[in-house]
Amino acid sequence: MKSLLKHLSPFAPDQSGAVSALFDFGGLIVICDAGGCTGNICGFDEPRWFIRRSAVFSAGLRDMDAILGRDDKLVSKLQSAMDGSGLKFSAIIGTPVPAIIATDFKALKRMAEKRTGLPAITVPTTGTRHYDRGASDAWLELFKTFATERHAVDSGTVGILGASPLDFPSLDAGELLSAALVAEGWKSVRCYGMGAGLDDVRTASAVAKNLVVSPAGLAAAKYLLATFGTPYEVRCPWLPPQMLDALPSLAGKKTLVIHQQFAANAVRDAVLKPDANSQVTVASWFMMEPDYMRENDFHIESEEAFIEAVANGGYDAVVCDSRLRTVLPRTQAFHIIDFPHFAVSGRLFDEVK
Amino acid sequence: MNRAYSITAAELAARGREGIPPELLSSAHLIYSSPATLAFNSPGAQGFGVKRAGLAVPGSVMLLVAPACCGRNTAALGCEASLAERFFYLMQDDTDIVTGRHLARIPEAVKEVCDSCAERPSAVMICITCVDALLGTDMERVCRKASEYAGVPVVPCYMYALTREGRLPPMVSVRRSVYSLLQPREKVASSVNILGFFSPLRDDSELYTLLRSAGIRTIREISRCADYAEYQAMAEANFNLVLNQEARHAAADLQKRLGIPSVELARLYQTDKIANQYRLLGQAVGAEFDDAPFRECAEKTISDFRDRFGHRSFAVGEWLNADPFELSLSLIRNGFAVSEIYGTVGGSNFVYVRKIAALSPGTKIYSNLSPSMMFYDGSDSPCDTVIGRDAMYYHPGLPGVPWNEERQPFGYAGVAALFGVLGKALSEKKESAR
Repeated sequence: MKSLLKHLSPFAPDQSGAVSALFDFGGLIVICDAGGCTGNICGFDEPRWFIRRSAVFSAGLRDMDAILGRDDKLVSKLQSAMDGSGLKFSAIIGTPVPAIIATDFKALKRMAEKRTGLPAITVPTTGTRHYDRGASDAWLELFKTFATERHAVDSGTVGILGASPLDFPSLDAGELLSAALVAEGWKSVRCYGMGAGLDDVRTASAVAKNLVVSPAGLAAAKYLLATFGTPYEVRCPWLPPQMLDALPSLAGKKTLVIHQQFAANAVRDAVLKPDANSQVTVASWFMMEPDYMRENDFHIESEEAFIEAVANGGYDAVVCDSRLRTVLPRTQAFHIIDFPHFAVSGRLFDEVK
Repeated sequence: MNRAYSITAAELAARGREGIPPELLSSAHLIYSSPATLAFNSPGAQGFGVKRAGLAVPGSVMLLVAPACCGRNTAALGCEASLAERFFYLMQDDTDIVTGRHLARIPEAVKEVCDSCAERPSAVMICITCVDALLGTDMERVCRKASEYAGVPVVPCYMYALTREGRLPPMVSVRRSVYSLLQPREKVASSVNILGFFSPLRDDSELYTLLRSAGIRTIREISRCADYAEYQAMAEANFNLVLNQEARHAAADLQKRLGIPSVELARLYQTDKIANQYRLLGQAVGAEFDDAPFRECAEKTISDFRDRFGHRSFAVGEWLNADPFELSLSLIRNGFAVSEIYGTVGGSNFVYVRKIAALSPGTKIYSNLSPSMMFYDGSDSPCDTVIGRDAMYYHPGLPGVPWNEERQPFGYAGVAALFGVLGKALSEKKESAR
């Protein structure tokens, strides 16, 4: 059955992706839920939540709130929490409950802005899609809300779009990605979502170029190109060294790389660079942008389809989060290289043994 | 709002039960999410939420029927491999939510799950969430249909976070679910069930000894049942001992269906109240318990602790195996200070607030869930020792104990164990400071 998971547990949902994208910008984040979704997002999908205090709240919806659609009550609570807090904006994130009762997020945004006098972002996530969709929507909304003015371009500054612990499972991922670009000669790097602040978003038009490191950042990159003419490039400038060190062992093998598409593409490039004759296929459970797919690359539709694709693919090796071992056919011996993906397993690179 | 809201016990008691300030009422504000609140802000996130609790039936598996987001944290629960193998997921998409078509797939999914297991499960627990609460799904009917189709008992578990403050909160409802498979049996006078927790009582609890002294030969807890047959034997009990009020509904259901009456005891830390409770239990079961040696032992542990570590000032949280207000009252009555309590004041524990107010009017009461806790700064707090996982989060530098272990403390043994681990924590802190 396509929608049945018998070996894996569900991946990070869209609401977690939205929170992850907005987490670092000093806003008040309200998850429009009864409490469970907030616990899942904070307690499992946002590793930064454990190491610093953050303004993440649950709307604490109860059955009558859902039945009666008490948006005014939610906005009043939001206003009370914002008053005197020094927070710079509010964000309301959707979950299955508002999806079912058809909450008008545009109206919520207007109401929140009117009551607080500060910008508000709403992301109508539903909990049924994967994290990258929610992150993509949140990035786009963030730049549409704050990056409204054109600034003089600084030719030495580059932006990174699409970075989050869900895509790059390290609390230091922002610094590591930035350091890689500094090593390439950039004077200044803005890693949005992992280091760059709200003022950097406001002056996003000042960067010479944006680097898109995951499909979740692509919509925002296209928006910045269309609005300010800022060019973008799709590329991952950094991959975990412990994983890169293991890649030479794939020479001459037929390899399947499973991760978020742009990181997986970077792994493919790293494998093919010394050995162009190797066969490398990229697959992902998440967004697969057709412009960046090669022949035989595929989107994984379900656990069942994945098992079948791997069994029939003739692969010798798999680069993937080791959590996926449980769905690799046991009848075949694969050479496996662990490439943690937080959105899959909730593991950080640092936990790789 | 730029500082944590608190109210003294005296002020709160003076306001009365009807005058609890909105800052302490979770329905009146956004709910702050911090690591201190993880266990109760998300009932499935840590400890025993509905998902893990539903698997208390030996040999059962769980099929979560929900949007993917509801099953996400189960990967964390699945760190324990044996548990991970017992979870399955039927994920709802947007069309399922609009049309309810996923309900027609459940019987087939249950069968597929059973067929994929190395051993046939004893039961399939279907966990449903806020989505089906709002859709008004008749899951009892769906489960009956699935049971007929797959040839295995199928039981619904309602993880309806939306109803958490309602008449039948999820953790009350799931307790009824896990005992709902018991079938009528002939009663055995010397057999008793302990209801309330999903993990066993600590082995050193005097409750076992006292019950045996009254002629009880078999004491069953669901978490100690080795297999489904032993679980079914719980139906022979002469009475149920309810140690957690969240099991009250399950006990009432067992009385109605199987004719098993119940007696309720509370987990307390005031030794005189524990004694009183045992006296009343003795009267109910027609026995006289000799609990004096256990009481003496607990009280000696407290006095030894006091002699050794002096007049401590505690901060008490609510992420622990106690009612924070009853525990605080116990500490105060034993000559200690309680400077701060992080807890949820409600109808059942307001009586303790009044008693605390009389003895320690300046004790500050905070709500973990208040948005103002974002600004909590414990640097000027007079507390020097903390109890509870949440209290440890607020005061990371102070000696303390989480006191939220899965093995459940109860009675005098629980009191002695608490002061035992507190003494150890303080000794270790002293040692590391040298």
